[in-house]
Amino acid sequence: MIETIINRLLVSIPVLFGVLFLGFALVQLAPGDPAAVQAGPSATPEIVAKIREEMGLDQPMIVQFGRYIERLAHGDLGRSLISNKAVSSELAAAIVPTLELMFASLIWSIPLGIAMGTLAAVWRGSLIDRAIMAISVAGVSLPIFFICLLLIQFLGVKYPIFPFIGRGGPLWTVDGLRHIALPALSLGLIFIGPVSRMTRSSVLEVLRLDHVRTARAKGLTETQVILRHGLRNALIPVVTLVGLQIGYLLGGAVVTETIFSYPGIGRLAVGAILSADFPLAQGTILVLALGFILVNLIVDILYARLDPRVQKK
Amino acid sequence: MKKTLLLGCALAVLTGTAFAQEINIVREVDSNNYDPHKSTARAAAESLFMLGDTLVSLEPDMKTVTDGLAKSWEVSDDKMTYTFHLKDGIKFCDGRDMTADDVVYSLKRWIDPETKSPVAWRAGTVKDITAPDAKTVVYQLEEPFSELLYQLTQSFATVIDKNDVEKLGADFGVTGLNTTGPFCWGEWLPRDRMTMTRHEGYNWGPQFYTNKGAPHMAKVTWQIVPEENTRTVALMTDQSQVTQYIPQIAFAQMRNTPTVEVHRSDEAFWTWFIGFKVDKPTVSDPAVRRAMNMAVDQDALARDILFGEVTPAHSYISENALDWDPALNDKLIKYDPEAAIKLLDEAGWKPGADGIREKDGVKLRPNLYIQGGSTWQKLAEFVQAELLKVGIGLDIQVFDATVFWGKVATQEFDSFGMSYPYISAGDALNLYFLSKNIPTPNRMNWNDPETDEWLAEGRRATDDASRAAAYAKVLDKVHEAAVWLPLYHEPMTIVQSVKLEPIVPHNNYGAGLYKGLDLKYRE
Amino acid sequence: MSATDTQTPAAAPQDAAPVHKSWWRALMRDRAAMLALILLTIIVIAAIIAPLIAPHDPNLNSRSVMQPPVWTERGTWEFILGTDGQGRDILSRILYGTRLTLLIGLVAVGIGGVIGSGLGLLASMYPKIDPWVMRLNDMMLSFPAILLGLALVAVAGPGVWPVIVALGIASIPDCARIARSIGIGVMGQEYIEAGRAVGLSDWTIFRRYLLRNSISSIMIFLSLRFGQVILIGAALSFLGLGARPPASELGMMAAQGRDFLLFAPHIATIPSVVIFLIVLCANVAGDALRDVLDPRLKS
Repeated sequence: MIETIINRLLVSIPVLFGVLFLGFALVQLAPGDPAAVQAGPSATPEIVAKIREEMGLDQPMIVQFGRYIERLAHGDLGRSLISNKAVSSELAAAIVPTLELMFASLIWSIPLGIAMGTLAAVWRGSLIDRAIMAISVAGVSLPIFFICLLLIQFLGVKYPIFPFIGRGGPLWTVDGLRHIALPALSLGLIFIGPVSRMTRSSVLEVLRLDHVRTARAKGLTETQVILRHGLRNALIPVVTLVGLQIGYLLGGAVVTETIFSYPGIGRLAVGAILSADFPLAQGTILVLALGFILVNLIVDILYARLDPRVQKK
Repeated sequence: MKKTLLLGCALAVLTGTAFAQEINIVREVDSNNYDPHKSTARAAAESLFMLGDTLVSLEPDMKTVTDGLAKSWEVSDDKMTYTFHLKDGIKFCDGRDMTADDVVYSLKRWIDPETKSPVAWRAGTVKDITAPDAKTVVYQLEEPFSELLYQLTQSFATVIDKNDVEKLGADFGVTGLNTTGPFCWGEWLPRDRMTMTRHEGYNWGPQFYTNKGAPHMAKVTWQIVPEENTRTVALMTDQSQVTQYIPQIAFAQMRNTPTVEVHRSDEAFWTWFIGFKVDKPTVSDPAVRRAMNMAVDQDALARDILFGEVTPAHSYISENALDWDPALNDKLIKYDPEAAIKLLDEAGWKPGADGIREKDGVKLRPNLYIQGGSTWQKLAEFVQAELLKVGIGLDIQVFDATVFWGKVATQEFDSFGMSYPYISAGDALNLYFLSKNIPTPNRMNWNDPETDEWLAEGRRATDDASRAAAYAKVLDKVHEAAVWLPLYHEPMTIVQSVKLEPIVPHNNYGAGLYKGLDLKYRE
Repeated sequence: MSATDTQTPAAAPQDAAPVHKSWWRALMRDRAAMLALILLTIIVIAAIIAPLIAPHDPNLNSRSVMQPPVWTERGTWEFILGTDGQGRDILSRILYGTRLTLLIGLVAVGIGGVIGSGLGLLASMYPKIDPWVMRLNDMMLSFPAILLGLALVAVAGPGVWPVIVALGIASIPDCARIARSIGIGVMGQEYIEAGRAVGLSDWTIFRRYLLRNSISSIMIFLSLRFGQVILIGAALSFLGLGARPPASELGMMAAQGRDFLLFAPHIATIPSVVIFLIVLCANVAGDALRDVLDPRLKS
């Protein structure tokens, strides 16, 4: 087990380095002169040139990359060109809200998706199955922004139950919960579809396996069979799916956070990239990629725990 | 509708978003920082007017300069020396007494080349600024500057604390700001929100405010909400109690909504225009610029796109602004697409196969740089469609607000969209048409010795008539040359919850709430 | 990660030849899928012949803005789906917009499909390069599509092509992963060994066995991916990064309409619903194809 984890960690290092470089290169190529951004609206070209020199932007790219890595090693991510705040503090402020949003969207959508998928598998071919599958296929086909706008329109404006601007506070406070309700509902909705579809097909698959047939033959009730044998095995692909879909979820988070003015990392990343805020853009890309690698690592570990075949390997 | 709104109120009361002394203001964009000398964003001015004070301030009529930190002042006969007498008992948020030295330090930092302030020119040509005693500030100029007092009401002239600047370094105006204004810095989360708290003991506000003491509000939150529609419904559902950033489309509905009030002030000088870089192929031809002016129907723009809530503009500054020359009214270029077509034909721009005109192998496809955000997108698309009808293909390029300012400092565009606040003809003209302001803010590359001379004449003028005459000559020349395509003049419109006492809209630098001293919940 | 690869949804690592002949007939029996296919065909044809059937110039503004659709009280037959905030005919813009949206989806999926499945199949064929391809994949997967889109648009400026390229690149790792797992299944079959034994060249094996036996499964995955790509593309446009005015694109139209949501909801709703229909049809048809071609899931 530990060996698996160490192995995975070692493999992640070149990946991480590549991600670092890609992120650096992409924002380097971006238009929008960071010195001009720093200098502000009506600065003269001389002022811009002076700032460019101060920022080291006149150095060759490889030197700039080296400096970037060096600073990174010291935990220094630079300062935002726009707000002049330390990138690390901006990131720190944005990570928690995004984690909260992810948590709040997954905590209800995954169990619901699994339940729906299992129900559909058990009564496959029935009306329930068809209804559930229709709902989930519709769910994965809806544009996320449309869901957000509809939710605002109905639960925010027509029946003003939930606020839809910003973050009220930490998740455990009443205000925090009220504010996260609509974003988490929107983001969770796009996740129900994939989870229920995946659960259905993997439960179906598992139900056909030999040991399940044996269990059935031994006289266990259908419910017992499904809970004891089917679901556990069926969870494996679902776990993988969550890992694979985390990027999709992040994409959804970008739109959701933007529409709900929710101060998370997605909104920060969009703002930073669009405003040519180089250090902040690099920082957000780094954090998002790190998060992604981490999630995949966790998925692998969970996978190993859930699937005895992998453990034996 | 009424029922849902009632339900909304009930819920809002139940859930209690707004306590009696807290207010939530939504706005479209954030500032890049809150260092008074380094940000020219309207968002910075909005916050700085509340956080800080200036020597003098501006009344809501946008004409009268009145007391600020200074209770009175004298101007010498040669208009070169201004002497300000400070009020008593002024304190910074950290409790320290403010003295004339602080004022001198702040103003000098503004013009210090080391500060690299993009707006240093707004302070005039300073000879020296001194503090003969703790309550007196003497401001000496090299040459008369008729705009000086107005410029001193701007947020750039906010009095700051030297210790604060030195202590915070690069974090000055980012993690904190020690000021003397009605509110004190709370917390700033860039692109999300800024909070400020009441400055207890504050009693040196401008006389035109009803409230002579500290603000009624204990806490003010400025929340960034880029989405137009979201801002609108935020007001309707009482998640925000006041804003000046409601789209024009919503005004009619807002006026009919019992829970909100709309206040409009036409004493507002904020004009939207497209400027041409006059030395670029295509738009270097005055005939093209004139034709573009004739091809765009500003009245339709104001009526259809902005729902009749703005004044169509044919002039570069409002006709109500100081030193506008009414003699120009008849000479302004008006909508006349046929004439535009004729003018282009005569100038040798012939329609090509794709319907876009061309001349000597040059396609009439000027580009237009605009900043992101729904308003400019709509304006640009309208202008694009109008120009297409006379055979001009406008290529719209959108940039994020922060990148935009860097892009329009370059020479790479043919035209740019912008809107700006001003108080008088002199203010507007000296900013945009002076040749030494090329490439920015004179982004048109308008380089004309005559203009420079007349502008200098206007700045140095010591009486109103000769100043107006000098500026009138400039106005005539630039309008004749069609250097801009004016779109509309925007009034200041504030939408507020009825729970608040009615607000008198201000318009200094487009910051509708100005110092916020009279913000108060109804009792 | 490698252990998870054989469990991917569309994996059908078996000789699909016997089902192949009857899949069309099987599909015909699935009424929902048939409906989806018919609807999709209509949408595609309407988009292709947009210039012929559009009642108005999609870029021409009229002086009647925000006119509601014909079925509402104030609607007129002149503008069947109403007009947008600029007074342009929404029906015409939808027709042209669907064209562009479909194009974005098709080209992006095409790029991702060809490069991705090429890489994946090669990896399945040559175990030596497999780890490298997979690491490259992991790296690319670390850039969620939307982030890649943002970064590319930041470099190249907003436009259709940066979005297509971003979505194409973002589709590569997923396609490669799927193709690899499908390919591994195929490579384990006896006929490959048999082919090797009789001395067939790698190219022949690739073409005759590997490609032919994996292509249908890969295509199913791509059809499902198509919907996702359209959705992400629409989201990018919604954020203001896609097509540039005056061109019409469905995501952009929805984004433009959100400012009018309170007063003229049809401007944002109609393009959103069209996106939904396209993606829904692609998903339903893709699902049905998978059910037909992947007999393990059939009851």
